[in-house]
This record gives sequence, structure tokens and C-alpha cells, in this order.
Amino acid sequence: MPTKEQKERIELLQGTLDLLILRTLLAGPAHGHAIAKAIEFNSDEVLQVEQGSLYPGLHRLIKRGWIAVEEGTSENNRRAKFYRLTAKGRRQLAVETSKWDKLAGAIARILRPAEREGES
Amino acid sequence: MRRRKRMMEELEQDIRDHIERETQDNIERGLSPEEARYAAARKFGNVMRVKEDTREVWSLVWLEQLLQDIHFGLRMLRRSPGFAAVAILTLALGIGANTAIFSLIDAVMLRSLPVDNPSQLVLLKWGARNAPNIHGYMTSGDCPTDLRPGAANPSGCSFSEPLFREIAQANVFSATAAFANSGRLTVTGNGSATVINGQLVSGDFFRTMGLKAAAGRLFDAADDTTSAAPVAVLNYGYWQSAFGGSRDVVGRTIELNNVPLTIVGVAEQRFTGITPGSDYHVWLPLSAAQRISDPMRWQNRSGDASNWWLTIIGRLKPGTELAQAQAAVSGLFRNEMLHGSVPLFHAGETAGTPGPQMGAPVRGRAGVQRQMVIGGTPPAQPALGNGPVPARREALGAPMPQSAGNKPVVSAPPQGAVAAGPPASDGGPRTLSTVTDNPHVTLLPAQTGLTGARTQYSNPLYVLMLAVGIILLIACANIAGLMLARAGAREKEMAVRLALGAGRARIVRQLLTESVMLSVLGGVLGILFAYWGAHAIISFVSSNQAAPLGFATGVDLRMLGFTVTVSLLTGILFGIAPTLRSADVVLTPALKEGQGSSASLGHSGGKWFSIGNALVVAQVALAIVVLVGAGLLVRTLQNLRSIDVGFDSHNILIFGIDPTVIGYKGPQVDSFYRDLQGRLSETPGVKSASYSMVPLLNDGLMITMFHWPGTPQDQNSEADVLGVGPNFFETLHIPFLAGRRFNASDFKLSALNGGATPTSAPTPVIVNQAFVEKYLSKENPLGKQFGESAGGAGDPPSPGYEIIGVVRDAKYNSLRREIHAMMYMPQSAGGASFELRTAADPQAILPAIREVVAQVNTNLPLFDVKTESEQIDRLLFQERLVARLSGFFGLLALVLACVGLYGLLSYEVSRRTREIGIRLALGAQPGSVLKLVLRQGIVLAIVGAGVGIGVAVGVTRYLTSMLYNVHANDPLTMIAVAVLLTLVALAACYIPARRAMRVDPLVALRYE
Repeated sequence: MPTKEQKERIELLQGTLDLLILRTLLAGPAHGHAIAKAIEFNSDEVLQVEQGSLYPGLHRLIKRGWIAVEEGTSENNRRAKFYRLTAKGRRQLAVETSKWDKLAGAIARILRPAEREGES
Repeated sequence: MRRRKRMMEELEQDIRDHIERETQDNIERGLSPEEARYAAARKFGNVMRVKEDTREVWSLVWLEQLLQDIHFGLRMLRRSPGFAAVAILTLALGIGANTAIFSLIDAVMLRSLPVDNPSQLVLLKWGARNAPNIHGYMTSGDCPTDLRPGAANPSGCSFSEPLFREIAQANVFSATAAFANSGRLTVTGNGSATVINGQLVSGDFFRTMGLKAAAGRLFDAADDTTSAAPVAVLNYGYWQSAFGGSRDVVGRTIELNNVPLTIVGVAEQRFTGITPGSDYHVWLPLSAAQRISDPMRWQNRSGDASNWWLTIIGRLKPGTELAQAQAAVSGLFRNEMLHGSVPLFHAGETAGTPGPQMGAPVRGRAGVQRQMVIGGTPPAQPALGNGPVPARREALGAPMPQSAGNKPVVSAPPQGAVAAGPPASDGGPRTLSTVTDNPHVTLLPAQTGLTGARTQYSNPLYVLMLAVGIILLIACANIAGLMLARAGAREKEMAVRLALGAGRARIVRQLLTESVMLSVLGGVLGILFAYWGAHAIISFVSSNQAAPLGFATGVDLRMLGFTVTVSLLTGILFGIAPTLRSADVVLTPALKEGQGSSASLGHSGGKWFSIGNALVVAQVALAIVVLVGAGLLVRTLQNLRSIDVGFDSHNILIFGIDPTVIGYKGPQVDSFYRDLQGRLSETPGVKSASYSMVPLLNDGLMITMFHWPGTPQDQNSEADVLGVGPNFFETLHIPFLAGRRFNASDFKLSALNGGATPTSAPTPVIVNQAFVEKYLSKENPLGKQFGESAGGAGDPPSPGYEIIGVVRDAKYNSLRREIHAMMYMPQSAGGASFELRTAADPQAILPAIREVVAQVNTNLPLFDVKTESEQIDRLLFQERLVARLSGFFGLLALVLACVGLYGLLSYEVSRRTREIGIRLALGAQPGSVLKLVLRQGIVLAIVGAGVGIGVAVGVTRYLTSMLYNVHANDPLTMIAVAVLLTLVALAACYIPARRAMRVDPLVALRYE
């Protein structure tokens, strides 16, 4: 039964999720669960990621060579798969971030024309 | 792929770990273990979908979809095996025919030369505004040569030996080679005497070509010096057939034309000669040329700058531009032409006898009479007879024809030489050419410059290619029609798929995959047909040549590539229309039950013009085009076969024999021939025997020029000429119209006049009706004398000729060539061909004949043994091949078109079964239903025929060069074809029409 919270859940585009994953990994390698929690936390609980959708995203990024996966041990000494940013991914993050900024800026300008008029 | 598998395997585990961690977190937050787990699972989402989405990330979507399509397509084809079989067979025929003809075109026209780095090889070709002042010219048929007397801008690729040596020494190329046909060689010392073809090559020849030896070694520069021991290199095939492929041939001695030569090696298997179509059995160095040649003919060629007989090929130095090399060579040539001088007499030459010996009055270069030999047979050497040499056109009206690479063509200096160069008024030396004539050399890439036998075959090959291309189009239209019909039946399936959300692009792709699959399967089967077909054609061609065809065919990558490309394009071509039609289905009506398909092939709400009809009309039209072409070619063949050749060509055995190769000289030759003729006449089974310089209808032609009394002094007239032996006209059944036959004293006189000291009596000649018409109109021909010349600078006077008889016109060297003015002379000296009229089948007498010859001399091989009928067949082989093939293709096209018509009408009848049932139930006569169906069929056939005839009228003009006595727009042929087609179409319509008649109204009305 969908809860009220779930109804307000903002639909995240595929590409946007990939961007968030990359940014999260900038801080350092993490395993899947940690990435999901980090996104939720860093967005002040606004972004509630359906955690399953993380995995296709992760595999996409692996396929493109932007992140790499390796075996490691987690904080509670259990085996886990750690994902880390590659150099290529780092570069791509910068590109995607700037694209996102442009997009967000453009949409903002359309939504808030008053500010614009105020400028001119 | 492995990575993907690994990632997917571990995904299961990763997901479990993830949910486990989330569960732990939830427990820490205070939930109970079950609640924690439940919340974690919900937060995660749909595991199945996650797995699927991840799998999609890794899959090659297009590949999976393609495999899906193929799988589905195969299933659909299995469900309708009849359609699949018909379609695949049709495609196999169309694609196979195209591939077969293409492989022939590839072998003949496109294949690169069988040497290393063929693109580096260049051929030298000379050109000038007027013919140069040369003594002798021989071409081995390597490139198109134009040396007609008086022709503007002559050109050719034969050069003198001194010039070749100069060019080789000047180091313009990294390697330079010269070669020429050696003429016929009699081999003794390896079993019974046989006759083979050989090629004379310079020492660097094999190095220039970049070839290796299959056994022993090949020539090097040391072999080509005058002091070197005479050596020979064998052809691989000849080594296998004549020497059993045993390695001990290296070092063996064989005798060629009575000259002992040591075999030093065998060439590699793929090389039979550099010129396309050439197939030499043995290679000899240039230095051996003089020894094996008839000294009368040879004339010290090696040092003579005005005797051109060698073809020259050079390998460009890496880094040297073609233009550079060309300038260098052209400079050398020009130098030679402008500053080298031409002596009046040659050592070893009897007064004014250039190259070809006829034993007949042949006078010096600047003299009045000239001899020109075109095509297969220089008089000193009987014809090699290697298949149809394109001396099909009039000798003077067309460029000098090229032999199929294996026959030397020798000619005396062209008439134009008299005009060129400064006048020899003081008898001083002349130069070979002048500045105004601009003598120059161009370098052509050897691949395109060496035409050899290619030009013979290019025309028919292109015609056949066009025919098979049209057949493929018909096949495509046929299958498109079939598929449209099927599309109508699959409408519901398409509608359901579209309704379920399939994209149209996806459906289009899937249907196209089905089409391409069909055509690929057809292509695979077609390769089989192609191989078999090409093989059949080649063996037909080979059986008509005296020597094996020097073209290699076989399945190779290029042919396969061609087949694959054609298959793919075909599939897309015939798949497009039905596919687009299918994907364009209007959903709602199609999904309704009980609805007939709205997209019909034939009548569509009264519309005549629909795609199904258009396809049938197109097929019929194309079939008509092919049939008209075939009809014209078949009629050409018939016309050629029924030509009156002027003599009786049945039961005549021909063979060539040349005693000079075993050392007979001068008068010995004459007596030998006479003796042999006598013996052969006595042989049981032989009704009469005679001989002539060349056999009739053998593509060998000789022309002579003389001064006709009453014409201006410097004007020359010409006539065909043939030396004949006693009893010639009786043997060939050429009737006399006036005068008498040759007698013994005529032969004696002719021999004297052709020798060193001519008499003052004119040589007796017999002329034909054309000669009389051309030169004598009202005069009495008997006793007329002509051709007298007082002689010129250095030329002894000649007594000319006297006409002693007139015979009926007879064809000379080819069927197509018109009969020209011709004179027959008593033959003496030189090689000859014997003609025997036999009582029964000529082949049966052959062993007896060989016996008789062996009694005279056991070392004398017979060559070019055949019957006159076979010879005519050989002349016609190209026409026969083309007529046969185009006839076959024409019938194939007709069958395909009518199958298409039948299919359309069948479909229409089954589609309109309800309508027909209603008509019948309402009282229509069965006859009217029959008429209904027939009408559609006949109208389509007639419209198609009309369009086809229209196209044919425009297109057949390209066939004109191949036709004989038939106009390209011959109405009789077109009408016959149209009638044939209408009849067959009627038959095709009849069956569906009868089925329509037999429809049971009750069944039809119940049919949904």
C-alpha cells in the first residue's frame, strides 16, 4: 500500500541517479548499501532512492568504465563489493555536473521569470 | 561476455548482502527482525525487475533481437514450406546465375595478373601520327594494335630488339622484360613429335614478373646472351601432362624445331603467360630465337631497329612516378625514331622480300606490292589455330585484330610507310619517323594495357550479365508478390502485435530479417548453381578451342563476397514493399473477426492499379526484354549457320603440316607437298586431296596489293589472296565459271617468280566473281594482266599476274566478313594446310592419314586436325554460347513471369471466394466467372507485353554489334515473342480460372 511519503517521492531520472552515484563515490570507495544511505542522508532525506534501482545504475557505470568494483571487507568485517571512482569517472563527473548545472539553471530561469525581470 | 556472466552471477549475492545490511540497520533502529526484513525488502523494490534491468545493461540488445528475429523467421518459414521452397529455389536460380556470370567476368576481365605486385608493371605502347618506316612488324596479340595502311595515329606495342636492350640498359625500370610469340614449335625427343606453343622471353623476364620456379630454376640474364647454352623453362601444366611431373626433367634435353635445348626448370603453377588468355607450354630465351626460326623469316631481327616484334614490360622503381619513367622511355624511343637509320637491304634477305613469304611476287618495302597478313596465319607458319581469333572484321576496315595471345601476326610494312619519311630519291638511308609525326611512347598499367583475349569475350559477357541481372529483378518481383500475398494472410498477427505495443520499427526489422534470411538461404544454394554453371560454360568454351583457355575460374573470396552482397540487397529489395505494407495495418478493422483483408493485391475497391498488378506487369515486361534479346541472338546464329559459304563444307578433313621445321627448304617443300598430296589422293576413303596456305574459314586472311593498269602510278589496289595447291577447287567443290585450272607449269612459274630471279612471264592466277565485278566489269577477265611493276629503287621488276580462270565466290576467313575480290595463286614454299574430301566421316580416316604421312617422314606431326564442320562450329562458338545461354535465360524469365501471374490470380481467386460464391448463387454462369478471372490475367499480360516491347525497342540497339542479318528492332522476333508470352500466360491463367469456376457456392458462403 503506497504511503504518503511514497506518493511524494520524486521520480529520479536514470541519468541523474548515475550522477549522484558518481558524486557519492568521490569521497571514497563504498559498497552498494552505503551509497544508498549516503544519497539519502546527504539530500536531507528528500531523495529516497528505491535501493534496487541502484544496481542497474552501478552496472551501467561499470560497463562505461567510470567506476570499478573490487572485493573488500566492510565495517563489520563482512565481505562486500566496493565500488570506486576511476580517473575516467572523475572526469565524467565534472562534465555531468556542469551539464546538470546548466540544465537546472535553465529550468530555474523559466520557472522564475520575475527574478529575471528584476535583473533587467 | 564472460564479464557479463560473472557480474550477473554475483548480483544475486550482492542483492542479498544489501538487503541484509538494510535489515541490520532497521533492527538497530528498533524494529523487530521480521519487520526489519520486511521494510528492507520493500525499500529495495522489485528484485526481479532489478535483475532484469541489470541484465539489460549488459546485453547487446540488437544482437539478441536479431537472434530472436531469426528464430522467429525460421519458424514462420517452416510453417509454410511450400512458399519457402519456391522462394528459395527462385532466389537460388537468380542469384546463382548472377554469380556464375560474375565469376566469368572476374576471371576474364577483372582478375589481376598472376605475378607479384602487378600494379607496378607497365606496358610500353608506341604511337605516332603516321606509320613508321619499318621492315617488319609482328604482334603477339597482347594489346590492340592499329597499323592499317593509311590509318591516322597508328599505335601498337611491338618494339625492336635494339630498342629494348637500350631501355633495359638505361635502367629506367627496376626490371625490364621483353617477350614475343615464338610461333609453332615441333617437339621431338620426348616420345612422338608434337606441336606446342612457346614464348620467347628476355633473360630478365621471370625476375620482372617476380615468379618462382616450381622445379629447377628460371632464366636469368646470363641465359639471354648469344654465347649461352640454349635452355628452356616448362609450363607447369605441360610439365605435368607431357613429362608426368617428374623432377628429373631438369637437365633433360628436348628438341624444338630440331634445336636441342636443355630444360632448366618449371614455372610456378599459377603462371601460364602474362597476357590474359595466353597459355604457353614453354619459354625460351631471346637468344635462342634465331636458331628455332625459319631463317627466311628471321632476317637478323636481333640487330634490326626497323623490325618490331617484342612486347616490352617494365617494373616501376619504387618511388618513381609513371610520368617520369614515361618521359625517359619516350625520349629514347624518339631518339631512335628520328636519328636511327633504315638500311635498304638486310643481310640474308633476298631481293626485297620482307617478312612473310608467299612464294608469290612480293616486292620490297618501298615497292609496289605489299603483303599483309591478318589473323592466324603468317604464311611461313601455318595457323596455330587457337580458337576464334577476332579477325572477324575486314582487315582494312578495322584495327588489326589481336590473336588469342598464341598466334603471331606478321605483317609487311604498312603502305603508309611510303608516304612517311623523307623521299628516298637518292636511295640514301631514311629515318624511322619524322618530327612532325611525333613518335612517342606511353606507359600503360599492364593490368589494363594487356588486353589479350579479353576483348573477345567482353561483349558477350556484358550482355549475359545484363540478362541475369534482369532475371534477378524478375525473381525479386515474383517473391515480393508472394510475400504480399502472405502479408495479407498475416494481417491479424501484425495487428495483434501492434496492439500489444510492438514498435513499428521493430516489426519492420523483423519482417526484413525474414526476407533477408530467405535470400541468404537462396544465395547459399545459388553458389552451388553458380559453381556448376560456370564450370559448364568453361568446358563448353574449352571444347571449342584448340588450346585450353588460359583463364582460371573457381570459387574465391571475391565471388563469395559478390554473392553475399547480392543476396542481402535482394532480400531487402523484395522485402521492403510487403514489409511496409504489413506494418501499416489499420488496427481496428484488422482485429475484427470475419473481415476480409482490406489491403488486397488485385482489385482494391475497383482500383486496377495496385501493387500486386504492378509487380506482375513488371515481371512480364522484363521477361519480354530478355526473350526479345534471346530471340535476336538465336536468329543471328541461325542466319550464320545458313550462310552459303560458296564451297561444300561437309566431310572435309583439315590438318596443318610444316616440313620446314624438320629442315626442308625451298623446292624440297614444294615437292614434298605435291608428293603428299598424291599419296593422300590414293588413300582409300579419300575422294580428293589438296592443300592451301591457310584453310578456309580458319580466321587466317591474307591481302596483297598491286598496281592495276589504268590507275594512277602511285595508287595501289588490293585483293584477298590465297595460295592453293593442285585440285583445290575440285576438292572443295568450288565451281569454275570460266577459264582453266592450274597445271604443273603454272606451279613451276609461280615458284620461280617468287624466288630470287623472277621470270618475265606473269604469274597465273584464278580470281573470283567479286574480283571481276570490282576490277573488270565489262572486260573479258581471261588473259588480263595486272600488277606489273618496273621496280623502284633497289627493287627488281615484277612480271605481275595474269588471270587464267574465274571461280564462284566463296567465303575466305570468316562467316561474317563479306566476300571481297580474291585471287588464288599456285602455292609454293611455306607451310600449308591440307584439305581432304572424304567419302564418309572424316575422323574415321584419320589414322590412315597419319600412316601415310608417317611413311613420308615419321618426325612430322600433324597439327590443327579437325573437320571443316568443326571449324565452322569453332568460328561460331561465341554466337552459340550466347544464343544458348540467352535462350535458357529467356525461358527462365518467361517461366518466372508466368509463375508470378499464376500466383497473383490464385491469390485473387482464393481471396474473392466469397464474392464468387455469391455471384454463382445469384445465378451467374460459371463461364462468366471464368471470364472474370481470365480478363484480369490477360489484361495484365498484354499490358506487360506492351511495356516490355517498348523497353526492348529502346534497349536492343546495344546488341547490334553481335547481330547478323537481323535488325535490332526486328518486328518478326518481337511479334513471335509477344505471341509466345500471351499463350503461356493464358495457360497460367487457366488453372486459377478453372478453380474459380468450380467454387461451390454453399461452401463459399459459409467460408469466413
